[in-house]
Amino acid sequence: MGLNMGVNLGGLLMKNPVTTASGTFAAGREYNDFVDVSALGAVTTKGVSLHGWAGNDTPRIAETPSGMLNSIGLQNPGVKHLMDVDIPWLNDQGATIIVNVSGHSFDEYLAVVDELEQACVHAYEINISCPNVDAGGMTLGTDPACVEAIVKKIREATKRPLIVKLTPNVTSITDIAKAAEAGGADAISLINTLLGMSIDAERMQPTMARVVGGLSGPCVKPVALRMVWECHQAISLPILGMGGIMNGIDAVEFMLAGATAIAVGTANFVNPCATQDVINGIADFCERHGVRDVNELIGALKC
Amino acid sequence: MPLINEQARIIENECVGPRLYLMVLQAPRIAESIEPGQFVHVKIPGMADHILRRPFSVYATNPATKTIDILYQTVGYGTDFMTTLTADEGALSEVEVLGPVGRCWMPPEHTQRALLVGGGVGAAPLYMLAEQLVETRVHTDVILGAQTEQALVCRGRYEVLLSAGTTDQVAPLCSTDDGSFGRAGFATSLVAEALEAAGQAGKQYDYVAVCGPEPLMRAVADLCADAGVYCEVSMERRMACGIGACLSCVVETTEGKLRACVDGPIFEATKVVW
Repeated sequence: MGLNMGVNLGGLLMKNPVTTASGTFAAGREYNDFVDVSALGAVTTKGVSLHGWAGNDTPRIAETPSGMLNSIGLQNPGVKHLMDVDIPWLNDQGATIIVNVSGHSFDEYLAVVDELEQACVHAYEINISCPNVDAGGMTLGTDPACVEAIVKKIREATKRPLIVKLTPNVTSITDIAKAAEAGGADAISLINTLLGMSIDAERMQPTMARVVGGLSGPCVKPVALRMVWECHQAISLPILGMGGIMNGIDAVEFMLAGATAIAVGTANFVNPCATQDVINGIADFCERHGVRDVNELIGALKC
Repeated sequence: MPLINEQARIIENECVGPRLYLMVLQAPRIAESIEPGQFVHVKIPGMADHILRRPFSVYATNPATKTIDILYQTVGYGTDFMTTLTADEGALSEVEVLGPVGRCWMPPEHTQRALLVGGGVGAAPLYMLAEQLVETRVHTDVILGAQTEQALVCRGRYEVLLSAGTTDQVAPLCSTDDGSFGRAGFATSLVAEALEAAGQAGKQYDYVAVCGPEPLMRAVADLCADAGVYCEVSMERRMACGIGACLSCVVETTEGKLRACVDGPIFEATKVVW
């Protein structure tokens, strides 16, 4: 009783620490029969570009041990559609909204943010980490100088909370995190998917049309936890942690490692009620451990 | 209809043909609301390291027992494991079923003559449509193709249904790849003949529904386009969420990439870019 679940993610006030991993929840409407989106800490929408992107060819996914690979390629109908259709719906539901912003170039990221400044959204997550597009995406997110430069430009374009989503496909995650901090980010989110590959030996062919894709699900959780923990020690920004969170205990592990908030991704595909189940699981953990404020968990790992 | 995610008890799970199994699930809420052509997204218990659900068409429903029938073919680890589930093994006797998902078969209004074409396990997702058409006194012909006679596992049910109906065809026309039953070869030639005969008799079909391997669906779609007959196909893709969010299962169409799960699985054939 009397448990405070609210957290502050770099200026974004969330009623609980749970949001959705971009691309796994669309803009929430598809989950409406299972989840009250206004009960989530925030809804993070599918990555949006200036004009629509068609995405990659199929097959776009492959099941892998304790996880999956995807190479969707950021298929989306463009920022105008998001603003005309999805954001009004989320506003009507009373949801807190984080928009995941994608682009093929610096200018495109800026143009998307410019458009979104007119919309009622609460924060931006800048996707410089998608492994499934040829230009922009991960190619921007692996070079610290590039990361600092793009974050600085977007920082000048908005006063809203700016979350920068990092790719794990780098030698030093902390160098990238520091670059995002230096550029003026309010928070970082990690991890995006790990670049991987799957082969159908019988056919002697790759399992997915684009050959490589992003690995997600429980199999990536140890990598994600390690990276959250390293970043928590290296920078002072709050962290939105994600990577294989399937239940409340997984979420608590990320908070202990240093995450202020967490995102549920692949679990949504397995259990459409996963987000609400994770919120309940965190609350249950707090009650069992006599924790009155969920913020007490952040970085509370006893090493 | 709202989507439902319910625990379903396995009533039956039996081998009915080569690599073919029939699973009967007690899923009361889905059984009463599912429409012909829709599917269910199933979480199979006991496979901790295979986390994704699997989509399955529904073959038939039984309102009295509140059950749905799923005809499935073993194609990999998941479906192989499914064959080991039984009605009486505790946690492994229940599966989590999400549904009903997707766009159903939509014959044009005032359809008087329909032709249903099922290839392999594709015969199953047409059965509820056949029931609906026969019930509404639509003249319904059925063509089924399979590799062998043993694989024509839906033939019996169609025979019972058609012989009780108003149509002059009392059994499905069949083809087998090995010639062990019916016409030797693919179902496509039977479809071509049926369309031609109907056209010549001045009684062309108003509607053709086809489900099966993509080459079959494409060939039938082409035949229908040539004959000017409205045709629908049932598309299959690898899926993750199964409810329209993840964009894994898209189908190339004249309207761009559409989701097989919720924009389909049933598509107007002329929309599909093969």
